[in-house]
Amino acid sequence: MSEQTRKKLAALPFSEKLKMLEKLRARELSIAKTREKLKAQRETQK
Amino acid sequence: LAIKDTLQVINRMQADGIISQYAIGGAVGATFYIEPSATVDLDVFVEFLNRYESRLVSLSPIYEYLKSRGCIAEGEYIVIGDWPVQFLPTADDLDREAMEQAIQTDVDGVPTRIIGAEHLIAIALRTGRSKDRSRIIQFFEQASIDSGKLQGILQRFGLMEKWRKFRAKIDE
Repeated sequence: MSEQTRKKLAALPFSEKLKMLEKLRARELSIAKTREKLKAQRETQK
Repeated sequence: LAIKDTLQVINRMQADGIISQYAIGGAVGATFYIEPSATVDLDVFVEFLNRYESRLVSLSPIYEYLKSRGCIAEGEYIVIGDWPVQFLPTADDLDREAMEQAIQTDVDGVPTRIIGAEHLIAIALRTGRSKDRSRIIQFFEQASIDSGKLQGILQRFGLMEKWRKFRAKIDE
């Protein structure tokens, strides 16, 4: 992401930025959940 | 549930007298000033009715209040709505000044308070983890920082040496 884009993001209203943050968080949690699921699958295959 | 729902619960807790004041810090607080970055929790600085008891304060009134409303404690967090919240009692004069000078704002009409940018930088410098140092750099790249105010805070709270070391490292 370019520095200009990041500055534009920083300048958005707080409520809007929080919605983006919530999406980022949901994505992170989903990735973590998938990782755990895969790990559990690998464990049962052993 | 969105973060504003979590804030509504905290506001109600304040209205019910469990805490006297609060302000958001950490990554969510920083989002007021800089680009949003992924975080899993919400850091909330809290002050109790008798501020001088804050040094030895127990978080149990907060936990009891929230548990009776269906929130679940998970280690150092308590989950309110969808968000694990870490309540941080104001521990020193820097925290207390940050709390006093926090900015009043709102999230989709829900009132809340955010720690000021210069105080967030000072707190991040004091904490000193890698993500805190990165955040300080982001503040300077993306937010308008009152350098006189920041210098004053760093001097008042004995952070000048840490600041010099931080500057020297990023200037390398």
